[in-house]
Amino acid sequence: MSKLIMRGVSKAYGATLALRRGDLTVEAGEVHVLIGSNGSGKSTLCKVLAGSVRPDNGEILIDGKPVTISGPHAARASGIGIFYQELSLAGHRTVAENICLPDMPGGIFVDRAALENRAQRYIALFDTVSGEGFAAEAVVENLRADQRQLVEIMKALATEAPITIFDEPTSALDRAQVDRFFEILRDLKAEGRSIIFISHRMDEIFAIGDRVTVIRDGETVGTENIADTNPGAVIRLMVGGQDELAPGASAPPATAATRNGAVLTVANFSGKGFANVGFEVAKGEILGFGGLHGQGQSAVLRAIFGANPSSGGALALSGSAFVPSDPRAAIRRGLAYVSGDRSRDGVISGRPILENVTPIHYLKQKLFLARPSALAERVKPALEALHTKFAGLGHPINSLSGGNQQKIVIARWLIDRPDVLLLDDPTKGIDLSAKADLFALIRKLAAEGMGIVLYSSEDAELLNNADRILVFNGGQVRRELTGADRTRYNLYQAAYEAA
Amino acid sequence: MTTATLSTPKPGGLKRLIERYPFLPALLIALVLLGLNGLYQPRSVSFIGITGLVKTYLALIMLAIAQTYVVYAGDIDLSVGAIVSLVNVVIVVMMEKMGGTGFSVVAALGMGLLVGLACGIVNGIVVAALRLQAIVATFATSIFFTGLALYVMPVAGTPAPATFWRTYGGRFFEIPFVFYAAVLLAIVIYVLARTRLATQLLAVGDDAQAAFQSGLPVTKIRIQGYALCGLFAALAAFCITGDTASGDPLVGGKMTLFSVAAVVLGGSALSGGFGTVVGSIVGALIIGLINSLVFFVGTPSEWQNLVQGLAILVALMAGILVGRRARA
Repeated sequence: MSKLIMRGVSKAYGATLALRRGDLTVEAGEVHVLIGSNGSGKSTLCKVLAGSVRPDNGEILIDGKPVTISGPHAARASGIGIFYQELSLAGHRTVAENICLPDMPGGIFVDRAALENRAQRYIALFDTVSGEGFAAEAVVENLRADQRQLVEIMKALATEAPITIFDEPTSALDRAQVDRFFEILRDLKAEGRSIIFISHRMDEIFAIGDRVTVIRDGETVGTENIADTNPGAVIRLMVGGQDELAPGASAPPATAATRNGAVLTVANFSGKGFANVGFEVAKGEILGFGGLHGQGQSAVLRAIFGANPSSGGALALSGSAFVPSDPRAAIRRGLAYVSGDRSRDGVISGRPILENVTPIHYLKQKLFLARPSALAERVKPALEALHTKFAGLGHPINSLSGGNQQKIVIARWLIDRPDVLLLDDPTKGIDLSAKADLFALIRKLAAEGMGIVLYSSEDAELLNNADRILVFNGGQVRRELTGADRTRYNLYQAAYEAA
Repeated sequence: MTTATLSTPKPGGLKRLIERYPFLPALLIALVLLGLNGLYQPRSVSFIGITGLVKTYLALIMLAIAQTYVVYAGDIDLSVGAIVSLVNVVIVVMMEKMGGTGFSVVAALGMGLLVGLACGIVNGIVVAALRLQAIVATFATSIFFTGLALYVMPVAGTPAPATFWRTYGGRFFEIPFVFYAAVLLAIVIYVLARTRLATQLLAVGDDAQAAFQSGLPVTKIRIQGYALCGLFAALAAFCITGDTASGDPLVGGKMTLFSVAAVVLGGSALSGGFGTVVGSIVGALIIGLINSLVFFVGTPSEWQNLVQGLAILVALMAGILVGRRARA
């Protein structure tokens, strides 16, 4: 009898179907790897199991008995422990307190001795690799990133749950720490515990996994024995039948012809979340940033724009040096940045459309006062170019759909043309027709000579629209895909390669 | 765990000290203020002077403690003053109705604790279970509690029975009653700091989402924080009744924001997750010492509020500067 069976689990967030049909069968005493590309639904499946997300449909059986998991507490009671990718630590508490937080020993009063004892058991497991300053009494906030990740691992181990989920537990760990962690996992396996393991490092998956389940577009597409498969086969399963829709479906790459002068040159660029990134964007080129979520793509774009700090490197705009300091300076030098996180970076919520289109115009033209009617004249061509649908410039921006809101934000940059347009996952939460409009516009802007950097978490968008693709992994550019190499298979292979 | 602490690298002894005892800057300020008090009025640092200070400000100390447990979890309670008023009039009326005997005092105090607890639970349910904004929701309940107090005793002035305030102001074996109360308070705080609830409140204040994902019953924990706050507000009401020896349906109102100021002066973060009860006590003492200093220096009455406000601002800034310097 299988330890855990999940059948037909689905979850929708509003109109977006995060998980269509998730199936998963895990045996006792195995490390079961869960793999899938960006937004395929593997994290959602785990969150359903851990009780932090309620599924819309589907059934879950543990030891053959159907269970309802109504919350994190219920999940724990059903014998499920989880390591959270985004960590769930209390920064001001000590390591020991964090490890035992879900289930502190003692009644009304905390049994300090028992707490220290229990924590010490898990701290001792990593004694040789946890590094300086790591102690039961250390305050978590003062630890390094890898040490914090170790605390989260210990916290998951301390649940002693028969089924333990590890959602990308190794992203901040060094080699020795990973090796030690894997030894511990093998011990757990020998005890008959079940481990669900999510990682995007192919070498790790093949080092620790017993079986692998592949999720694609919210659906479980297959489960294989690790011993009977190889990385190439797993990637092909992730890619599915959609492989060859890729090369330049919407437009022929104009790369070679337009390589007549770089509008943006970046060399040895480093900062928080990325290191030694270098590339050139030619006039009229669309350069794609690919790879898994959060491998440094956004961080690079934000740092170029001066919205995030950078620590080193040389940048040049059309040949003249540029030091990113803050967005105002970047805008004056002809950079534009559009983010997919509209509520944080784009939309001025609750204000009229006109006010949402004009802030960059005010800045660039050093306007102090302006007549709305004169502004409206300047604004209209930009909005028309985007096929934006709106009732009137005086209507609040919130009355528009997500796609139209994003068009307004882009139109903001087009009144006074920038030289370089940085697109940071710009189509997040936008409907299909608006996406098509957007990419048609981007191609047109490129044809008119703008240099464009496009990061998209949707691989199809990238493959269809970028002339070249830089694949990021662990904050660095791992591979450059050009011409006929721009296939889904190559993209995944580079993204899942050992960092 | 001394060995572990010693074996870790030392990033400056002062930083470590302040990290462990975040109320140290506040304690320093309190000592400076105490010195200034002594300078202008030598009698204020005598035994009798200190007794008077504790007797007068024990209520604010209690209220600051009450506020701390709520702030631990990242919440705030703007109704603590109203709870003080309500408990104050309830116990005074009850003692009076029952004839002011020793038994009536004990019964009234029990009732007072229940009222405080009930108010706290109401706040907790409104904020944590119904998910209203803590600032606005507790402001609204404060008006409600004040309304109840005015219903119980429409006009201030009913005296508390002599048994009660004579005990509060009196001495046993030559030691003032308030010192016994202070010792008892210290024990209660020491015990409370070791409860599971204290750690859970701080964990919720650190990151409520993370606490929820760790399987903590976040809503229940926040309600318990407010309940504890209500209990300590009731204790504050007992102190103020002992000090003023009468009932007043508006007596606590102006104390609310002083309790918040005391918590901040004591080094706790209003965003939650970080703080100490001892710090809040020191914070309340700082406010008390500033008030008496303003008086001892001989500030003309029309200037007293202005000087008092400036002094609190300076104390806040000094605390932040000292803390920042030490942490950097």
